[in-house]
Amino acid sequence: MEPYGVSEGCDGAVGEIMRGFGKLKGFAVTVIGAVLVVLTIALSVMHGTKAISCAAVWDAIFRFDNENIDHLIIQTSRIPRVIGALLIGAFLAVSGALMQGMTRNYLASPSIMGVTDGSVFVITLCMVFMPGTSSMTMIVFSLIGSALGAGLVFGLARLLPGGFSPITLAVLGTIIGTFLGGVSQALASYYQVSQNISFWYNARLHQMDPAMIKLSIPFAIAGFALALIVSRWVTALSLGDDVAKGLGLNIVFIKGLTMLSVVILTGISVALAGKIAFIGLIIPHIARYMVGQDYRKIVPFSALIGALFLAWCDLISRFINHPFETPIGVVTALFGVPFFLYLIKTRGGGKHA
Amino acid sequence: MRKGDQTARFWTVLLLTTGIGLAAMYVSLTNGTFDISALDVIRTLLRIDTTREHDLVIFDFRLPRIVIGAIVGIGLGIAGAALQGITKNALADPGILGIHAAAGMSVVICMFLVSGSVKGAGWASAIAMPMFGWIGGLGAIVLLYMLARHNGEFDPQRLILVGIALGSGFGAITLYVSLKMNPQDFEMATVWLSGSIYNANWKHVAAALPWILILTPIVWRKAGILDLFQLNELSVKGIGVRTGRERQILLLCCVGLVSACVSVSGSIGFVGLIAPHIARRLVGIHYKYIVPVCGAIGMVMVVIGDMIGKTIFAPAELPVGIVISIIGVPYFVYLLYRARKRR
Repeated sequence: MEPYGVSEGCDGAVGEIMRGFGKLKGFAVTVIGAVLVVLTIALSVMHGTKAISCAAVWDAIFRFDNENIDHLIIQTSRIPRVIGALLIGAFLAVSGALMQGMTRNYLASPSIMGVTDGSVFVITLCMVFMPGTSSMTMIVFSLIGSALGAGLVFGLARLLPGGFSPITLAVLGTIIGTFLGGVSQALASYYQVSQNISFWYNARLHQMDPAMIKLSIPFAIAGFALALIVSRWVTALSLGDDVAKGLGLNIVFIKGLTMLSVVILTGISVALAGKIAFIGLIIPHIARYMVGQDYRKIVPFSALIGALFLAWCDLISRFINHPFETPIGVVTALFGVPFFLYLIKTRGGGKHA
Repeated sequence: MRKGDQTARFWTVLLLTTGIGLAAMYVSLTNGTFDISALDVIRTLLRIDTTREHDLVIFDFRLPRIVIGAIVGIGLGIAGAALQGITKNALADPGILGIHAAAGMSVVICMFLVSGSVKGAGWASAIAMPMFGWIGGLGAIVLLYMLARHNGEFDPQRLILVGIALGSGFGAITLYVSLKMNPQDFEMATVWLSGSIYNANWKHVAAALPWILILTPIVWRKAGILDLFQLNELSVKGIGVRTGRERQILLLCCVGLVSACVSVSGSIGFVGLIAPHIARRLVGIHYKYIVPVCGAIGMVMVVIGDMIGKTIFAPAELPVGIVISIIGVPYFVYLLYRARKRR
């Protein structure tokens, strides 16, 4: 166990001091996190195809000038982009953490489990049959799609013997993902909206729409709040259904709430930026490594690390092939694949997390 | 089931499937953007009383496409059967193991390196593509082997996980390389990657056919060993099978088959996954029977899939890979469901 766990076991003065130390550490983490986020925002706003000086950034934020091109770039492109990257990183990391805890499966993540593909599928349907829907409706449809994808994969997993083992679930997720992707592609090419659809498919952090970000904030708050509320129960679930039952928890209800949170968070991030892989898979593991097994700490930590990770990947993506931008998926895969392999190597085949 | 019965059943199934395949080929030969009567097809094929339009349509457009479809189907079906046998996992599929992605990556890299100078038209490049694909596939298998080994033991479960990981990695590299290409090559690469056979020509046939002709009999001859692999590792060794070596030979054959198919048609998924399941339901569990039936079923799947893809949305065409995944997945799910109910 990590120090937190130990401190809770201690009593008397030592325990008091340890607890105080724990709080201090929590405070320190918050401060460091905030500093890192601000630093990331600053760097991300300053660098890109056109480097912009620190002073210009300051001016653009506090003395905005409509005529100045640099200011326009910062206000309409760079700032929404970095905010979007931070938010989406946090969303995906948190949904990954919840899924891994709930299914006790170290491979669970929104992109492997068909959640993102479901969202893309419903968005395609929506574009084909109801062209010209508003952004708000798109977000709602994206949520419905996430629920559909997750429902299909988990429903099938229930039907199969040993369906919740990491491998079967991963294969089912891949199959369902390919299927939904295939159907969307067929519909798109039949109704000739391929171009609009591929706009949705592909991660598009670089054209983040400030209006979309504003629309998504209520959902984001709801999703995060739900995630934080269920996180204490997810800790129990991660010890096994029997343990959770023994603690007097209503498993179906809790799993439902957890899935709802996952669906909201993933749905929003697909609506904002399309499919981005690997965040939901890697980040929770790093968070678990740093703070131990308690999901009350894993969830916020995942959010922080996920946000920073995606923002940095975004920043790197502007420089790999300068002055052109590299798709963010390539950058996340660059870090994600080796990590994934490492997980398989150390965690082994059929075991649960 | 007695042995005689099983053999009879095997031949019936094989003949029926081949028959369906031939019927599908006939339909797709006569129907299309404009219809040709059966008599005209026969006349053209037998070189009696030829017209130039019919020659062009049949020999340059329809026939190579059908032949490629058949070859790819056979190759993928057999590779799928062998892979499921080797890994002892009914969910194994060349696509899931990342072999498609690896072969695809090296072909795209090949296109990128020789861009412009070859234009994908010369014989040299047509023959070189499967070679490149094979090298890529081989690389994937070597990586798979290195990473899926655990304490010196070969772990089939781990193999699939590593495959999924490698698949997405290779996919990312492919994306990166294809974005560096010039627009013309990029167009070619994307069309090819999505798993379509509509720009098939005789050079592709010539490039892929030798692989299938050489490797298929090898896999079939090893069918007895595939049967033995279904037992546990120790018993197989106890019988006196050199498991490591046999497995390597079979894996190499699979990679060869898959790479040849991928290099001419892009990645067509699900054939290798579903064909063995259908075959097992039709002819039982002996690989001696499963392997050829898988080939026939794969052929039928790809030829019919392509036929549907080119007619249903005409004049637009749907890549055959997508058609197969749309039809195949619900069926596969149904199979899984049935398998569970029987338990």
